[in-house]
Amino acid sequence: MSESIKTTKAALIVHSDMGVLSAFQSSFVSKGYVAILARDLPTALLALTQHFFDVAVISSQLAEGGDGWPLAGVVHLIFPKAFVGVLTPETNVLTLQAAINNGVTQIFDVAANPDHIVNASLSSQPTTKTSLETGTSVQ
Amino acid sequence: MVQQPSLLIVDDEANVALTLQMVFERDGYAVRIANSCASALKLLENGHRFDAVITDLNMEKENIGLEVARAALRLDPKPAVVLCTGYASVDNSAAALQMKVDYLATKPVDLDELKRAVRRLMGFRGQSEQE
Repeated sequence: MSESIKTTKAALIVHSDMGVLSAFQSSFVSKGYVAILARDLPTALLALTQHFFDVAVISSQLAEGGDGWPLAGVVHLIFPKAFVGVLTPETNVLTLQAAINNGVTQIFDVAANPDHIVNASLSSQPTTKTSLETGTSVQ
Repeated sequence: MVQQPSLLIVDDEANVALTLQMVFERDGYAVRIANSCASALKLLENGHRFDAVITDLNMEKENIGLEVARAALRLDPKPAVVLCTGYASVDNSAAALQMKVDYLATKPVDLDELKRAVRRLMGFRGQSEQE
């Protein structure tokens, strides 16, 4: 494995809307990350078996309301040091409780600007050299 | 010899604390009780080592359980920190999320769920600290 591959960071983005995925992809790639996109739960689980992730941004609603939370919990269990952000339609006690109990780092409003979310997720990451070798994989 | 996992339970309602103590001791934990934030902070700051801390949120003052959680999360190694409350609000829950509290249980607490969460979190803490 080349040095450039080892130092490239990866972000998992899971959302049912291709337009949202595309906006996150552009933002992460512009920051030197490899962006792995998934539109549904099975694809996201497949991606988790094949990549190491430093960041994950997950919609709380994939096929049905709330099914993004356990996926966020799985990402946290597999990659305890990764930033896990969840997009939620509203912030209330139940969503905050779901976030805490699934090891989520931060929640964001679904309408928030992807660049803002990407910046917030990257600011929590330890600073390491990232490679110019970046790319995107849509699964 | 297998060491007993240690647990600090913080609640100003003696009956709640005693009930949780009985439940967890039956599961093999070594349990210490503190009936106020102040006495919990004394235990945490005097070098007592706990694998997990379960704290009520409202005791001497509203949301003062967050102080217990903050002190516990400053320890190294960090214990698993569980907040139990019947008065969760957006503000105190958001504060708990920001502090990286491990679990938020709402009263009335489902004991089986609480036991599962503590067991899982303690295993997870041990594993991630080895990495």
